[in-house]
Amino acid sequence: MSASGEKHSPLEQFEIMPLVQIKSGGVDLSFTNSSLSMIITVTFITLFLTFSVNTRSIIPSRVQLLSELCYNFIAQLLKDTIGNEGRKYFPFVFTIFMFVLIGNMVGMIPYSFTFTSHIIVTFALAAVVFIGVTILGFVKHGFHYFALLAPQGLPWYMLPILIPIELISYLSRPISLSVRLFANMLAGHTLLKVFAGFVLPLGLAGILPLAFIVALTGLEILIAFLQAYVFAILTCLYINDALHLH
Amino acid sequence: MNNSNKKLKNLKKEIDHLQQNNEGESKPKQGSGASFGFKISTEIVAALVVGVGIGLIVDNYFGTRPFGLIIFFILGAFAGFLNVYRVMRRIEKQ
Repeated sequence: MSASGEKHSPLEQFEIMPLVQIKSGGVDLSFTNSSLSMIITVTFITLFLTFSVNTRSIIPSRVQLLSELCYNFIAQLLKDTIGNEGRKYFPFVFTIFMFVLIGNMVGMIPYSFTFTSHIIVTFALAAVVFIGVTILGFVKHGFHYFALLAPQGLPWYMLPILIPIELISYLSRPISLSVRLFANMLAGHTLLKVFAGFVLPLGLAGILPLAFIVALTGLEILIAFLQAYVFAILTCLYINDALHLH
Repeated sequence: MNNSNKKLKNLKKEIDHLQQNNEGESKPKQGSGASFGFKISTEIVAALVVGVGIGLIVDNYFGTRPFGLIIFFILGAFAGFLNVYRVMRRIEKQ
């Protein structure tokens, strides 16, 4: 009886499968299920945002309301964390937020693939944020940006200890940003699969894990949104740090 | 024309009314205790990972086998606590 579960590992859903093999110069550029999932996400976002506001009615339809809600949400976030000069960074933050959010949501559809559950994807996103914010800081402040590493009013003999600590703290930003999103999605989806594995072997009592899965799916959708929100708000905070040195 | 203007005004009044009722509810909740603990632990782990990484690179480059790792591991731990302190301060502010 237990052998029936052997074939279906809870981690099987994260496997990368090349759909179209492309190899060029020793580099594997295959079109995988992860790529397909990303393309579905981007296509969905583009179609959704274009067609929902296409009518531009003053009294919005439900779909238009939804996309305006997304817009307002990020616009308000930027206003709260950065202030009025944060409006310039709206396209960047909005793109990242929508990509992560819809990517997580696409991953919630059964049999689909969650590309945010791979550390390399989230790390690439976080690295874009990190490098972008660092460049922004240097463009805005020049070499004065290094003052970020030395808190004001610090006695000089503390500098040799505190600068490495601040530097490590600064460098740990992309890692904590990417690990948080990746681990949340990985843990949630694995947990769902593990409990799903209990349903059939338990027979009639399998109703209990089944009910749990239903509740957990709701929680997962909340987490999918929350993690996209956290990613967006941290991006805003980092941009704010780069704009306003303390 | 006049009629639709009136309709719009009525609608605006209604929206304002609803928004006032909705005030404070628009922000998403910060999540459960588990997500809070998770947030804190990732901050510490991330700083430690960076610290150990720098330590290993330094050791490889200068040939100071154990000392770079030890020093940067400790610095990474401090940086982790600094990160946690910053996160806590940010949560407290909200």
